[in-house]
Amino acid sequence: MYHYNDFDRDFLANRNAQFRAQVNRRIDGSLTEDEFKPLRLMNGLYLQLHAYMLRVAIPYGTLSSAQMRQLAMIGDRWDRGYGHFTTRQNIQYNWPKLKDVPDMLDALAEVGMHAIQTSGNTIRNVTADHFAGAAADEIADPRPVAELIRQWSTDHPEFQFLPRKFKIAVTGSPNDRAVTKAHDIGLRMVRNDAGEGGYEVIVGGGLGRTPMIGKVIRDFLPREDLLPYLEAIVSVYNLLGRRDNKYKARIKITVHENGIDTIRDKVEAKFAELKPLFSGVDQQMLREIEGHFAAPEFRTASTEAFDDAYAADPVFRAWCDTNLSDHRADGYAIVSVSLKKHGATPGDATGDQMRTLADLAEAFGHDELRISHEQNVILPHVHKSDLPALHRALKAAELATANIGLISDIIACPGMDYCALATARSIPVAQEIAERFEELKLEHEIGPLKIKISGCINACGHHHVGHIGILGLDRAGVENYQITLGGNHTEDAVIGERAGPGFAYDEVTDAIERIIRAYLDVRESPEEEFLDTFRRVGTEPFKAALYPKETVDA
Amino acid sequence: MPEAALDFADEPPEAQAARIAELNDRYRHHGATSVLQGALRDPQAGKLTLVSSFGAESVVLLHLVSVIDRRTPVLFIDTQMLFTETLVYQQELAERLGLEDIRIIRAADAAVAKEDPDGTLHQFDTDACCDLRKTRPLQTALKGFDGWITGRKRYQGTSRAALDFFEADGPDRIKVNPLAHWAPEDIRAYMDENRLPRHPLVAKGYPSIGCAPCTSPVAPGEDPRAGRWRGQDKNECGIHIVDGRVVRRSEPMNVIVTDAGFRQDDWQGNAVLDLASDTDPNTVDLSAAPGLIRVDFPSFADGRGFTIARQLRLRGYKGRLRAHGHVIADQYAMARRSGFDEVEIAPDLAARQPEAQWQFRADWQRGDYQSRLRG
Ligand code: SF4
Ligand code: SF4
Repeated sequence: MYHYNDFDRDFLANRNAQFRAQVNRRIDGSLTEDEFKPLRLMNGLYLQLHAYMLRVAIPYGTLSSAQMRQLAMIGDRWDRGYGHFTTRQNIQYNWPKLKDVPDMLDALAEVGMHAIQTSGNTIRNVTADHFAGAAADEIADPRPVAELIRQWSTDHPEFQFLPRKFKIAVTGSPNDRAVTKAHDIGLRMVRNDAGEGGYEVIVGGGLGRTPMIGKVIRDFLPREDLLPYLEAIVSVYNLLGRRDNKYKARIKITVHENGIDTIRDKVEAKFAELKPLFSGVDQQMLREIEGHFAAPEFRTASTEAFDDAYAADPVFRAWCDTNLSDHRADGYAIVSVSLKKHGATPGDATGDQMRTLADLAEAFGHDELRISHEQNVILPHVHKSDLPALHRALKAAELATANIGLISDIIACPGMDYCALATARSIPVAQEIAERFEELKLEHEIGPLKIKISGCINACGHHHVGHIGILGLDRAGVENYQITLGGNHTEDAVIGERAGPGFAYDEVTDAIERIIRAYLDVRESPEEEFLDTFRRVGTEPFKAALYPKETVDA
Repeated sequence: MPEAALDFADEPPEAQAARIAELNDRYRHHGATSVLQGALRDPQAGKLTLVSSFGAESVVLLHLVSVIDRRTPVLFIDTQMLFTETLVYQQELAERLGLEDIRIIRAADAAVAKEDPDGTLHQFDTDACCDLRKTRPLQTALKGFDGWITGRKRYQGTSRAALDFFEADGPDRIKVNPLAHWAPEDIRAYMDENRLPRHPLVAKGYPSIGCAPCTSPVAPGEDPRAGRWRGQDKNECGIHIVDGRVVRRSEPMNVIVTDAGFRQDDWQGNAVLDLASDTDPNTVDLSAAPGLIRVDFPSFADGRGFTIARQLRLRGYKGRLRAHGHVIADQYAMARRSGFDEVEIAPDLAARQPEAQWQFRADWQRGDYQSRLRG
């Protein structure tokens, strides 16, 4: 865990004082609403459908139990007793009052957290693999470098008024859980032939109305060149990115319109100018940061209690089979806690649930929690012997849903229920699908499947990379849902293919069921997952199931 | 009416320009009615049609035309995305004014089936949708005419502020803008005096009406066109843009902000190099640069100036560097850290954000992560 030093604390106190003053100046009129808007956005404050919304960064998704308790306290005191975990490792409070926001920010600062650059046209909260520091398949922990980037991008004077928002993700594992190819910049920690550590730098990925898979701009960047190289990319983009149409302003369009080779030439030229300005101090600081992320002292103990419970209790077994992932330490497991009980709002957690999770992390999980972009909470380091007790406690708190990676583990954006930009509902669609498959009792038979839902073309629900993606649009005043198939968000990222004409709100769940029944029919064996079947057979069987009449005509 | 051969097809550009200048001269001091009357009969104007959206203010021009010659062809673009109210209003008006030649223009079915089968294109790309549903059908329909009559007015937006009665619309056509000089009051008065029926949506808070998905009501006091294409930099739909020239106001810019606070401009040298926000800083000739470079900030949301400043410093510029325009107090620290020495702002901004608010960030060196990391 990164612990703030005096510099960080002083920066944050000063920044919060500035925002408090800005709120007062908005109230006394020296700032117009137009001028206040980017300032509040830089501090995470949005104006939404019902009210203000405060978006708090959970840098690289890591939290201590003390931080989690503070998040619960803030939800209880200034919101309606809950918070909403987003797809970008943030937590959102949907009901704060403008006058309370400076106090909320001070409360966050007490535990070394903030809402800086969680919105606005600037470099956003850096995201990382949520299994970082625990996963068995990891080359290196991405969090120290994510923290370095957080510091570098925080209040960067050149980059607070970019053409558009700018998102960076880092992964330290060949199995990309951080969706690096769908970010403005994606960084993959790699080693070159000589065994030296560095980064593969990917630029110009993104979802939204024009989904694009990022392109490699540098296949091996030495570790020490990272900050000047990032600075070069963003400054080239700042001048070159379009500012005449906000839908063409993201770097993916800049790369697309100018070509990756032109962008690379400009970036390399700028990099050559910037590199001499970096003395190498940043690398010393990085090593210091790495010290903060040293692995906890794993203990060695017998896993007998676990093996017994696994053999004896089918409910426990089902939960283990879906919600555990391999840990790199012997006898340990990574536990994913689903915030998606069937029929609940994806990503919502009550204050009590957050406190329970904090207590459990303290008791069983070396005091650490993670938030995944799949809107679940993760206890990254749990010894297997503690799993039966942990499972009992989760059950009591209604947090033991065994659906991680399954059909009801849906990513859904806030949609029409909370978002001013939405053209359709998304949360109720997710709830209905989850409930339908719960009734059918098919979930475990179907196996791994990712459904992702966005309530408008801005694609916050990442529907393009869902195995099944659902996009809610507005068709002459009526909600209409387009379905995409075969998307994938991992290292071989693919944008899903559109299945055909959209469906009305009350037809979506049936349509999804038809797709699933088609899959169950054509799969070669229960081991063949949905995505594999799709790759083998293509869209045809699914289209036939979705649009029965048309296939007869054709 | 037989489609007569076009009078001005293949006219060379100089001849067209001269003809438009003559027309503008001839009608310089005329009112809307006589411009329209003249244009519809003047052989120099050629064969004209009225293009109408049957929107909030369209009734004025439709009425003027119907009084002069109700056989004038009227083109109505039905984007198939319009409010039902507009379609009903169109029929009522045509009947009431006795217009005899209304031609309803639509995108070809095949084009719609191919480019926008679901009717959701406007959510992905408004430019492509307008192109499919407005611009292309209109271009096709206009092929039979020498020019078209529009209801554009000077007050409607900066890109229209210098509007003349007659103007070129590409090499083959002209546009006639009889209402160019009308103010909002004139429109209202004309509608009242002639008891013309209003578009039903006006009463519901839509002062400017286009397609249903792209129009929203505006709040009292907001720009009447603010409800069109909300959230986008889009102001016009492609039909009206000819040269898109923006006319800038020039204002006295005389408050200089430094770490010490406000002061008057003390720059004595005569030459100042002004850089627009879209300047490529690598192409600026620094050997010829005077002692003061000003970088323009057309809007505080346009952050290119920060990168321009930093790049000029990287290239070794040591002279005075000034941020100039719409920079707000909260950006003072960013400006200083990017390499600016000072900021130049307009008096009204200085009055609204007084010295103390700028001085609040005179501590711009505090909490600077970037210099710390560079070492
Ligand atoms: S995808 Fe659209 S509706 Fe959903 S959160 Fe993003 S902007 Fe809002
Ligand atoms: S105004 Fe909107 S709906 Fe109408 S044509 Fe343009 S983009 Fe399409």
